[in-house]
Amino acid sequence: MWTCVSLYFNADCSRSRVGCSGIKPSPSQSCDSCFFPPPPWKLRGRSRAEKGGAARFPTGRRCDVPPARSWLLLARCNIFFFPPAPDLPFAMAGAIIENMSTKKLVIGGVILLLFQAFAFMVGGLIAPSPTTAVHYLASKCVDTGKQGQETKWFMPWGPNQCDKIRNFDEAMAKKIEANDIVFAAHIPLPKKEMSPWFQFMLVILQFDIAFKMYNQIEEGAMVTLDVRLAYRDDTISEWTELAHSFEQRKLSCNLTISKTMDNEGRCYECDLLPFMEVGSVAHKYYLLNIRLPVNVRKKVNVGIGEIKDIRLVSIHQNGGFTKVWFAMKTFLTPSILIIMIWYWRRITLMNRPPVLLEKIILALGISMTFINIPVEWFSIGFNWTWMLLFGDIRQGIFYSMLLSFWIIFCGEHLMDQTERNRLSVYWKQVGPIVFGSFCLFIFDMCERGVQLTNPFYSIWATDVGTELAMAFIIVAGICACLYFLFLCFMVFQVFRNISGKRMSLPAMSKARRLHYEGLIFRFKFLMLVTLFCAAMTVIFFIISQLQVNEGHWHLGDHMVQVNSAFFTGIYGMWNLYVFAIMFLYAPSHKRYGDEQSSAQCITGDAGGNNGEDIQLTTTITHVDGPSEIYRLAGKDAQE
Amino acid sequence: MAQQRSTFPSGGRDAVTRRIMDNSPARRRRSGAARHLLLSVAFLACSSQLLVVNANSWWSLALTPIQRPEMYIIGAQPSCSQLSGLSQGQRKLCQLYQDHISYIGEGARMGIKECQYQFRQRRWNCSTVDNSSVFGRVIQIGSREAAFTYSISAAGVVNAISRACREGELSTCGCSRSARPRDLPRDWLWGGCGDNVHYGYRFAREFVDAREREKNYPRGSTEHARTLMNIQNNEAGRQAAYNLANVACKCHGVSGSCSLKTCWLQLADFRRVGEFLKEKYDSAAAMRIGRKGKLELVDKRFNAPTSEDLVYIDTSPDYCLRNDTTGSLGTQGRMCNKTSEGMDGCELMCCGRGYDQFKTYKHERCHCKFHWCCYVKCKRCTSLVDQFVCK
Repeated sequence: MWTCVSLYFNADCSRSRVGCSGIKPSPSQSCDSCFFPPPPWKLRGRSRAEKGGAARFPTGRRCDVPPARSWLLLARCNIFFFPPAPDLPFAMAGAIIENMSTKKLVIGGVILLLFQAFAFMVGGLIAPSPTTAVHYLASKCVDTGKQGQETKWFMPWGPNQCDKIRNFDEAMAKKIEANDIVFAAHIPLPKKEMSPWFQFMLVILQFDIAFKMYNQIEEGAMVTLDVRLAYRDDTISEWTELAHSFEQRKLSCNLTISKTMDNEGRCYECDLLPFMEVGSVAHKYYLLNIRLPVNVRKKVNVGIGEIKDIRLVSIHQNGGFTKVWFAMKTFLTPSILIIMIWYWRRITLMNRPPVLLEKIILALGISMTFINIPVEWFSIGFNWTWMLLFGDIRQGIFYSMLLSFWIIFCGEHLMDQTERNRLSVYWKQVGPIVFGSFCLFIFDMCERGVQLTNPFYSIWATDVGTELAMAFIIVAGICACLYFLFLCFMVFQVFRNISGKRMSLPAMSKARRLHYEGLIFRFKFLMLVTLFCAAMTVIFFIISQLQVNEGHWHLGDHMVQVNSAFFTGIYGMWNLYVFAIMFLYAPSHKRYGDEQSSAQCITGDAGGNNGEDIQLTTTITHVDGPSEIYRLAGKDAQE
Repeated sequence: MAQQRSTFPSGGRDAVTRRIMDNSPARRRRSGAARHLLLSVAFLACSSQLLVVNANSWWSLALTPIQRPEMYIIGAQPSCSQLSGLSQGQRKLCQLYQDHISYIGEGARMGIKECQYQFRQRRWNCSTVDNSSVFGRVIQIGSREAAFTYSISAAGVVNAISRACREGELSTCGCSRSARPRDLPRDWLWGGCGDNVHYGYRFAREFVDAREREKNYPRGSTEHARTLMNIQNNEAGRQAAYNLANVACKCHGVSGSCSLKTCWLQLADFRRVGEFLKEKYDSAAAMRIGRKGKLELVDKRFNAPTSEDLVYIDTSPDYCLRNDTTGSLGTQGRMCNKTSEGMDGCELMCCGRGYDQFKTYKHERCHCKFHWCCYVKCKRCTSLVDQFVCK
């Protein structure tokens, strides 16, 4: 049993001064009100007025505790008596979120919200839609030359265009063989140019296959394509070959109408086939030549029905969107970088090694900076096809970092008296994240990595590849599910523990209760902001999935690009989130001052406690459980 | 007159033969056109005076250059002022968008062909006459059939323009916010070029409706009612073509996820548009001009038509018998199906006048071997079939 008498306490942690020592509180007085000043943001004015002078406790009682002192400092000094830290989320003593006044917090929040709105508006009003799809109908050229002539390129239009046929009835009449037909498509359409601002280009293939009663598509039919891609940078020079490959694609076509004579000539509905993907658009003109060689003996291109047309859809990022995106990244990089350096400087200025939570926040900041750095600027000048893959990797790193951060953030606030503050404690949660990300990385390497050498490669083209890709994605999906279960469980635990602590609040003195409640409110607020960010991401993701073609809303005269707003808005949101986390979790100035004053305390006699205060977050392995102390405190107060 | 009688059923016979041997569409069409040409000379000689000059329509763009000497003389790009059938506004659009005109013609042709397919088994079989009125007098009646004709040809224009757009044949296509091709490269770089089905829809609205909009009939008059009806039906056709276009999407985000997704519209098979509009034809709403100068339902108990529905203001004429006043061609000489209970059955098709029966040989290819293109090895199978022709 302790009472106030047993405390040798004062503001400087020196035990010689009077403080409350020797004062036994009367039954009507609560002892701890003496030691626990109201939260700092409630006392700002007064503390300033009383700076330097002999601080008095605002209630007027004879407690010489300087009100400006952080409650947490007191806690550090009296760790054996009032260890508030281990069971409270904001035991990270003196972080800005803890010490900042509510008014300033609200102002900061509003500013961040304004930036958020701005990020949405940049995407919605300035940027065009992120990508454009352009259709091409491949022209049917006739290869009149000899077979051996490899370098001949077939242009669908323009001055040197090939001998075209309109349809295959004409070919039939002219006795042209299937092997002599070349499907040619020029990207882009006439009078237009491709540009490095398009960043990437992917092409999708679609067959128009007519239903014929006696020439139907066989089950599991494969199409073998002999494809060649060439480029040139002006309209007159020769074409240069970029890639040449034999590719197989599985036809999955179905007929929605009945297979009767009456429906002959109508088209199958065929799935889109992945065809080509290039990670940089460094040239102005591209030319695709596709052949469908027939070999009856080897069963190549047999039983694929009567092909009427080959249609291609090329997708590229819009130049306008790229520009807005680059501008945004260029603006965000220094902002995050500066706050990160500022944050880490403050951490290192404290005379203790950083805790896990602080480290993980730094890691989050680093991964955010990594994704922010606008290295894409180089793609305008250089033909770097790996940029797409690199972007994927950066994005993957950031999201796995963010997911790990949430886990550790919740875990560090769990307040269950277990030893944490080590990454190894979280292997169960971080493991699936890393594994899932790794699976996606492998998958991405299999698809986009191989595409660096063969742009026509697609993992989905073969059965084995499809199964493998599906396996990767399913494993990643399971990991994601596991993760969310873990996270939900952790959040539940955190909230349960907090409400458990809350039970003891009414028994406390007003000042102390206010302080606790303030801290709990702020923690919950941050938790809610996190949830809100995650929810916004999910909601906007779903919206962008649902609204398919009408990707723009009319707002008076302005066209609002929903998809672009989604991308810039979400990207801005995560940046602001990381910014806010780093800012709020940086050690505050006030604590800074306290640190100096507590230096006395350390030099005085409580040097041993100094090492303890970092551990306040989670790691008080004290014999008396803090709740016990509270219980006793409450009991004592009632006496 | 005997010559004329043989003229009109030709369309019908055409349709029936198409069903029987649908193997060489190109050749058949060509022979059909030739027949049309020959017979049309006779037709024009006899009945050109019966037709009102006013009935000229942009549908005439559907006629092949052989049928339109003025197109043939000038070459591939006809001068707009020489094209008959265009109204003042349409002529202006023609001058602005010269390259569109041949595709509008293709659209009209597509619409007419589809109309003839959909109505191959009806008494009115969407047969065309070979002058610039295209469908003859019968379209001057604001009937269901006229409604269908207007809508299907408008849909055809949407389809053809969108298709031409996709093939890169039109200079203004897609980048629709800038009408001038001069700005095109910059727009293309900034935001790509918009959706071509949307462009097709917008252009068709400008072009097809131009004719109706420039007329200035007194409110509430019959002509005004007809104008409103045409506008409504044109819109219904365009919307059918636009709405039936299906959306295709491709996910291309990180690891092929859907975090990045691009969608585009794909034109529907025009047969589907035809079927859809045929359903709308069956449920078309009878309207009359109201006191406010707007169309209103004749029978108020029905639901008001939406912009996707067809409307008509006159009852259909009797298509059983030939009538030069209404423009009905009659069903004499049409093929019919003896066993069918439907409209193509001999009983209904011949309006109870009875039918003639005769036997013909039907040639079919059978036991074929194919490649995906240009290689077919078949046997020729022949069978004897009965055919029935209305008296």
